[in-house]
Amino acid sequence: MRGVTRPNPGAPGAPVIPIKAVPAATGGDAEQGLFEVRRKIYPRSVTGWFATWRWALVWFTQILFYGLPWAAWNDRQAVLFDLGARKFYIFGLVFWPQDFIYLTLLLVIAAISLFLFTAVAGRLWCGYACPQTVYTEIFLWIERVIEGDHNARAKLDASPLTGRKFGLKAAKHGAWAALAFWTGFTFVGYFTPIKMLGGEVLSFSLGPWETFWIFFYGFATYGNAGWMREQVCKYMCPYARFQGAMFDGDTLIIAYDQHRGDPRGSRGKKADPKALGLGDCVDCGICVQVCPTGIDIRDGLQYECIGCAACIDGCDQVMEKMGYSKGLIRYSTEHALRENLGLVGIVSRFVRPRTLAYTAILATVVVAAATALLMRVPLKVDVIRDRGAMVREVEDGELENVYRLQVMNATESAHRYRITVEGLPGIRVASEPVIDMAAASTRAFPVRIRLPGAQSSGGSQKIFIGVTAEDGSGIQVREKAVFLSPRKDGNRAP
Amino acid sequence: MLTQRIAWILWPAFLVACAIEVVFFTLFDPADMQLLGEPLEASRMAIYSVGFFVFWALGAASSFLTCFLQRSPWEVNRCPLPATQRPDGCPKREGPCC
Repeated sequence: MRGVTRPNPGAPGAPVIPIKAVPAATGGDAEQGLFEVRRKIYPRSVTGWFATWRWALVWFTQILFYGLPWAAWNDRQAVLFDLGARKFYIFGLVFWPQDFIYLTLLLVIAAISLFLFTAVAGRLWCGYACPQTVYTEIFLWIERVIEGDHNARAKLDASPLTGRKFGLKAAKHGAWAALAFWTGFTFVGYFTPIKMLGGEVLSFSLGPWETFWIFFYGFATYGNAGWMREQVCKYMCPYARFQGAMFDGDTLIIAYDQHRGDPRGSRGKKADPKALGLGDCVDCGICVQVCPTGIDIRDGLQYECIGCAACIDGCDQVMEKMGYSKGLIRYSTEHALRENLGLVGIVSRFVRPRTLAYTAILATVVVAAATALLMRVPLKVDVIRDRGAMVREVEDGELENVYRLQVMNATESAHRYRITVEGLPGIRVASEPVIDMAAASTRAFPVRIRLPGAQSSGGSQKIFIGVTAEDGSGIQVREKAVFLSPRKDGNRAP
Repeated sequence: MLTQRIAWILWPAFLVACAIEVVFFTLFDPADMQLLGEPLEASRMAIYSVGFFVFWALGAASSFLTCFLQRSPWEVNRCPLPATQRPDGCPKREGPCC
């Protein structure tokens, strides 16, 4: 492992600090990883302020993910992406493919938020909320409970296969597989009503595609969190590659204070580092051992660093034991490290052209999306002209055009609507003007519209077809259409 | 190297397939689709699923060509035969005889 220096426990004046120094990767032979020769990483578990935060977010995101499909709303699943019926239910709202713009806006908001958070505070997403981090954390916890701490795991992997090893490995993979299956089941439960899906699982009557996707997603979870781990972040994640573009000198990064820490070296707890010519870093290697991506943060900012702050927690514990002040490794900025800025100096630089620009764009898109959502009319009407007959003369010299009205009731209750027409004097709806629509449904209605012949100026004239809910809910749509008449010079309209 | 190549081919294609799946099937309803003039008789779920793998395969084909064409001349020219087993007269033949 690059940059790791080992203290020599046998040297005179050897360390008496209670931390046993071991290189980060205590694993066996390097294995051929997916992308390059990979040494298996056995991250040492860590406790502390940031680890607590990460676990809080693991609980929060996973209660949300596993729990949400079970929530009910108006006798249906509260959040259901019903792909089969092409309707998305999100609590009180029903979205149709026509509402694609809202999904687009949501993705734009998510992307710009990510840019903003990254510019201000670095890889917060990676360190605390990304599913890859969250599931790796859970899978590592299972591994630790079953196989023991990082040293025990490395030893177990290096040992020959025995009954005990087989039992431990089987238990671990069994627990992983069970969690992965539940994750896949929950994922599919967002697309197929989960209670129905649960019944199908229990009665072994799952549909072929449901079975396939449960296992596909479950397998991906098992593979990514159990086997691939940091390789996903290092080689597969596009965000990890371009996040640097959002960074500048005032972005919060996890940094080793080289000025304070170097020269590194082991020493006794009571020794005066100044007298020994040493900095505050005792070179215990804890920061490397806890790192899930196996880097040495003391080498400076690296793209492999997912910003999980495990090294901060680890180092702070050592500093505390040594009686030094915490924060040898801490959240800081390049600027602050260079100019020795304090917290105020760091926070005051959060406001800068880049973050202001991201904030302005984000605010604009959020306001636009919220406005569009608030003004969204849960009724959609498409007017399609009947292509067969353009215009025909009916009794009393009236002219008739026929249209097809494609009406979509996007509310969750049945509605009665009235069809009206305006735009020309005397124009009227000659077919049944009142239509009934079931909840969340689409139907087509033929509509005949008549105009007294005397009112026609010939050719095509603009009219408006309105559809209004009869229940006073204010739901109303007005669509433009064209009314065709024979030309006045005697030639029929085509 | 082979696993790396496979990963280079499949993974970007997977990401692209996910994006295309969402956009394509939002814009087009499988129930309205026709195959050689006949309406598709599969369920929407089946068409979404098959569609995903078609997109993935197309992306993978593109990634495959990228990988294939970016091989260096050295890799292309490399003779599959070990130096000692090359035919007589081959300038790169090595062996006890020469």
